[in-house]
Parts: sequence; structure tokens; C-alpha cells
Amino acid sequence: MSDEAQELIGDYQYGFHDPENSTIRFDKGLSEQVVRDISELKNEPEWMTELRVKAYNHFMERAMPEWGNCPMLESIDFESITYFLRSSDQTEKSWDDVPADIKNTFDRLGIPEAEQKWLGGVTAQYESEAVYHSIREDLEEQGVIFLDMDSGLKQYPEIVKKYFGSVIPHSDNKFAALNTAVWSGGSFLYIPKGVSVEMPVQAYFRINAKNMGQFERTLIIADEGSTIHYVEGCTAPSYSTDSLHSAVVELIALEGASIRYSTVQNWSSNVYNLVTKRAHAYKNAVVEWVDGNIGSKLTMKYPSVMLLGEGAHAEVISVAYAGKGQHQDTGAKVHHLASNTTSNILSKSISKNGGRSSYRGLLQVTPRSKGCRSKVVCDALILDGTSRSDTYPTMEIGNPSSDLEHEASVSKVSGDQLFYLMSRGFTEDEAMGLIVNGFFEPFTRELPMEYAVELNKLLELEMEGSIG
Amino acid sequence: MMYHQMPIPPRSEHLWRYTPWSRIQPTKNGEVPDVEGLTFSTPSQVTLLVNPLEQIEHTDIARAFLLACNGENVSVAIEETAEPIHIHAVSNAETTVGTLHIEFKGSATVFVHLSGEGSWCGLHLTANVNPNAHVGFGFINDLGSSCNLLRCEDWHIARDASVEHATLSIGGQRCKSDVRSYLNQSGASVRTSVTVSADEKRHEDQHVEIHHLHSHTDSDLVMNSACDGRSHFIGTGLLTIARNANHSHAGQVFRNLLLSDKARAEAIPELEVLADDVSAAHGAASAPVDESQMHYLMSRGLNHEESQSLIVSGFLLSAFSNLNNQRLAEEMQHQLNIHLEDELSG
Repeated sequence: MSDEAQELIGDYQYGFHDPENSTIRFDKGLSEQVVRDISELKNEPEWMTELRVKAYNHFMERAMPEWGNCPMLESIDFESITYFLRSSDQTEKSWDDVPADIKNTFDRLGIPEAEQKWLGGVTAQYESEAVYHSIREDLEEQGVIFLDMDSGLKQYPEIVKKYFGSVIPHSDNKFAALNTAVWSGGSFLYIPKGVSVEMPVQAYFRINAKNMGQFERTLIIADEGSTIHYVEGCTAPSYSTDSLHSAVVELIALEGASIRYSTVQNWSSNVYNLVTKRAHAYKNAVVEWVDGNIGSKLTMKYPSVMLLGEGAHAEVISVAYAGKGQHQDTGAKVHHLASNTTSNILSKSISKNGGRSSYRGLLQVTPRSKGCRSKVVCDALILDGTSRSDTYPTMEIGNPSSDLEHEASVSKVSGDQLFYLMSRGFTEDEAMGLIVNGFFEPFTRELPMEYAVELNKLLELEMEGSIG
Repeated sequence: MMYHQMPIPPRSEHLWRYTPWSRIQPTKNGEVPDVEGLTFSTPSQVTLLVNPLEQIEHTDIARAFLLACNGENVSVAIEETAEPIHIHAVSNAETTVGTLHIEFKGSATVFVHLSGEGSWCGLHLTANVNPNAHVGFGFINDLGSSCNLLRCEDWHIARDASVEHATLSIGGQRCKSDVRSYLNQSGASVRTSVTVSADEKRHEDQHVEIHHLHSHTDSDLVMNSACDGRSHFIGTGLLTIARNANHSHAGQVFRNLLLSDKARAEAIPELEVLADDVSAAHGAASAPVDESQMHYLMSRGLNHEESQSLIVSGFLLSAFSNLNNQRLAEEMQHQLNIHLEDELSG
């Protein structure tokens, strides 16, 4: 790692990288031909190729967002990015068949070990495509489909055609258009009616190459009365040049279904993380986004839920940590489009060493939606005088019978709390770490135990030297 | 920048999201209309001075537009006084524009009453509050029901000075207000109360900015709205705390009461904090009239309309209850009560 990168990244523990061994690597830059080449390489149906081209044209025409961190967005050089890189010729079902250097990477990240202990299925994506994929046999027997998205399109083209882009159309925003044009990899998950998947399934995304763009596409369909918990994690090596991660995640929770989607994003701080995540929740369905943002240079991510059926419920719990040079622009959107729908949003953020965290949210109740209830809570901690915290909440209320609340607070760590802990023998660093872990506790308690422990460790690392 | 050089602000800016510039200005984009001056008068013992407009550059399109209109420009210097001062601004021509500058040299309580039957009215008020002055300011918008209003205010508050700023908006058809307070020196504080009663097709957009530019500054904002008929209320707040403004305290509360199926309300309380040793909080709530309160009142003999009116009245009046300046609070509550009694008597 260069000195410059080391300075930028600090103690980021996943900043190692492997030699860039690729079987196919596109030249840098984006054009219609690149889009067509990706589609041809994957031997996709014509409708997908045409959709990609349409999305590419939309991406080129659409202006950059005029909100958020405009200077950082404008600094993205789309021509310096590699849009497709294949590291392995096929997706393996056994870790032993995964190329040694890639397997080594995932071993260091602890993925195979976690799979054995507590996961129902795993997809491991390296650069543009999945290199490993497996699902427990008992789930497969129950009819659960868990594939990487490319295989999903090949094996279940009708389902994919029906739902792909139905929640997030290519014209939704500039980065959704970019993803639709050049998407590769991601997860395709279908849970049949009434099936409850007890163990979480996991996808792990790793960018290894320099100036890489990762554009995975995830589609989860939970049929009536089914339950699923999907967990994703992501890391990248530390380089002094920038990479781009622009995913699209579409969730469809049909009547009475329940989807929990947990993310711990720990990209290195040279990665732009511009992700669109949205769910459709039908009658009595429940969608939960549990979203942790620790890494990246700029994250702009606002998981949203459209409550389409009566009695549907949305829950968004998010935490963000913004350190040196980072801007975590995160939040949540809930659209109450049916009566008697409910939602809770809890957002926690910490800014340190000049970092900036922003909560940006939207709560909407349409005129026809009666008896909706929602509560939004945003808490922010600023740990020093060079950092910044913003909240930009929006409430649009179109029906008089709705009951909505929003509250937000920004403050520093309480001197009383620090004093209390230090008088019991903790050092300042330890005391601060404990307070921060407690601050994030509403988030960590929603994660699987292994993730929660990992997150606490990461936060402790980030908090080292935070005093003075 | 002068008005004709300015781009039209995009709707991605919250300030212009729900009331875009093209919908609030009286002419086409880029054009400056022929205007009459807003008529200012005062029965109080102060002198209103008519001055030529100073050509200064603005970054905000509304302020630049009002300057370009070249309407009546009046200023007043107010010494320390215990008696409230009332200033009347009347809009009786088709399109009227006025600029009012108030120099608060000492503590005083001032009311600006805006009325008239014109079709479009623009008002830009600027105020300097000198050190140690304690100011109460009430703005009552009682324009005719077909008048559109564009109102901008800029308050510069100096060391150890305080401002209690109350707005009662009960008139006009489409109203856009943009009130900005700058806490420029240590010990400055501003307490802002906004009450909006909207019915029929009224469109009311209230934007309040408070900028903490120095340490040890305090602010407080309460915005209450009750929307009936097909009315639409938008409350946006921007609270900023600058890097060096440690030991500042800031709070914002937005409350909306929706009284009909067709009424709408939006709340966007924004917060930008760059200092670490501060306490800043905001809250927003929206709910229908409490059924248990209705039941309580109706079980004591009040009919449905009277019960609702009483609850709405209490809700709107509560926005002024945190004002320390009793004369200000009483006058604003008095004006609101007159309006609510008129409403109830039809």
C-alpha cells in the first residue's frame, strides 16, 4: 500500500489485496459497446440486452444529483473505471475449487468458517461475478432458490423478467440507470409460499482490483407467508485511487411475508458507495432494513419501503460511522401507500476526525392511506470540533388520520458518562469505546451474533485514539 | 448577483421544493413587473423614513427579485421603549412591493400588520438588533383571501441581544415566507414562534433559517399549523451551527394538525452541525384531533364543531405560550382569537 493510501485508510484491516488475476478484463471506460459486450459475454436474452442499452442511454442523459455531496459526486471519473472483470471462469459449489488466491481472501474474511457454523447459504462475489455459491440441501428441498443473479437469469428467466426493475426502474436515478446498464453478479433469492428460512443466507462482496466498478443486482422475492433473513457484507483493498460500488437491491414481500435485509458495509475509504435499495411490502408483509455503514469514501444510500398493502410494516435501523475524509449520507424512506400501515426508523451516527454524517429521510402518507403510524428517531454524536453532522428529514402528510413523529438530536459524548466509567478504572479510550458501543446497541442487537461481535470490534478499532 | 443574472432555483432545493419560484412570483420567470409601493404607516411615536433603495447583491432569488421591483423603501430607528409600536403595511394595488428596515437601538416590542386586497404583495424586512437589546416582534399576515404574498426577513442579532419573533399567518391565498436569523455574536438568542391557520385552498409555505455563527448562542423554533379544507402547509427549517459556535443550544419543533381529508402538510426540519460541544435537537409531529379530547368536551355539552374549534384554538395558541414577552404573547393570542371567532361565526 502506498504511503498516501495508508494515510487515507488508517488501520483498515481488510485493506490487503491479491494479485489481479483475471480471465476477462474490459478496458476502462463506459460505452454502449461495453454494455452490449457484457450482455453478450453472459449470453443474455435479448430483452435484457435492450434494457441495458436503454438504461445506458438514460445514464448518459441524466444529470448528476443536485443534492447531497455534489463536489464528491462530480469528482467521480466514470472513464477511469473498469466495468467488468471476471476472476474465475465459473461459480463453484465447493471452496476447494475456488482459485487459491481468492479462496485465501475469503478465508481471511472468515466466510467459509461462518458458513459452516450459522448460515443457510452463501454467495461470494469477487469483482464482477460470483466465485462461490452454495445453499443448504434442506432449503433447496423446500423449494428455496438461492442463486447468483446471472444464474438466476439463465435458469428462471420468466421470474426475473417479471420482477427485474419492477421495484427500481432503470429511470429511477442516475446510479440505478448505471447499474441496470452494467450489472453483474448479485443474488437471486426466491422463498416459496409459507417457507420459513430459519438460518440467514449471506452474500459477501469483495472488490480486489484498482479502479474497479462493482455493480451487483439483487432481487429477493418472498412469496406469501414466507420468512427470510439475508445478510450482506462488503470490503475492498485500500488504494489511493477510487473504486465505485453501485448496487441495486429490490425486495418483494408478498402478502404476509417477512424479509430482513442486514448489511454491514465496510468498504475501504477509496470506494464510492452509491446504492439504491427499495422494497415493496404487500398486505401484512414486514420489511426490515438493518443497515450499518462503517467504511467508504462517500456513501449515499437510503433504503426505502413502499407499503402497498393494508397492515404492512417497515422497519429501518441504520448506523453510520464517518471518519477522516468520509461522508456517510444515509437515511431511509417509507411511503405509506395503503391504510393502517406502520413504520419505525431509527438512525444513529457518529462523526469523528473531520468526518461528516448526514441523515436524509422521507416519510410520506398519501391522501388515501388512513390510520398510518410512524416514528422516526435520529441521534448523532460528534466526537471532535472538525467533524459535522446533518439531518434532512422530510415528512409529507396527505391524510389527517395519520400519526407521525420525528425527533432528532445532535450532541457530544457526555462528560458525566466518561467520568463515571473512568472513575471505575477504564482508560479514556476504553470508556469512549464502551459509550459508542452502547450508542449503537439498538443496531447491533438486531444483527446475528457473529456480525454484532465483528461490528463492535470494528468500532473499537475505529475509536482508538479518539480522545484528545 | 442581480435578479436578471440569477438561474431559476431547482426544486431539489428544499426551499423551492413545494412552492417553486415560478408559482410564487407575479410574472414570468426573468421578468420584473411594474409595481406600486406598499403603504407603510404607524400610529406610534416613531418616524418612518423613506429612502432610495440601495443596490446590493443577493444570493437568494426572492430577495434579488424584491430589490429589482424597486418598491417603497422605508426605515425606522427604534430607541428603548416600553410601549409597543405598531407598523401597518397595506397592499391595495394590483402588485405591491415594500422594503422595511428596522434598527433596534434598545429593547422594544414591534408589530407589523400586513393587510390589503391587492393581488400580489412582496415584503422584504431587514432588522439589526444592537448589543443588549431585547426585542419582541410580531408579524400578522391578514391579507385578503385572493392575495399572494412573498415575504423575506433578515435579522442580524448582536452580542447579548435577544429576539422573540412571532408570526401569525391567517390571510392570503398563496404565501411564501423566508425568515432568516443570524446570531452574529456571543450571547445572541432568537426564539421563533409561527402559527398558521389555513383553510379552503390556502397554500402556506413557511421557511425559517437560524444560523449560529458564534459560540454561546441559543435558538428555539416552534411552528404550529392547523390545516382545513384543501389547504396545504409547508414548514421548512434550516438550523446551522458553525464550526466555532460551541456551547450553543438549538431546538426546533414542528407540529401539524390536519382537519380535513383534503388538507396536506409537509415538515422538513433540517439541521447542519459543525461544532461538537453543542446541543441541537428537532422534532416534528403530525396527527389528527385527539378523539379522547373531543369526547371529553362533547360529553360536557359542546357540539362537534365547538369542541374541535376549542382544541384547534388551544393548539395554535400554544405556539405563543413559550414567549417571555407578555405584550407580544398577548397581542398575538388576541389577534388569533379574533380570527378564530370570525371562523366559528362563519
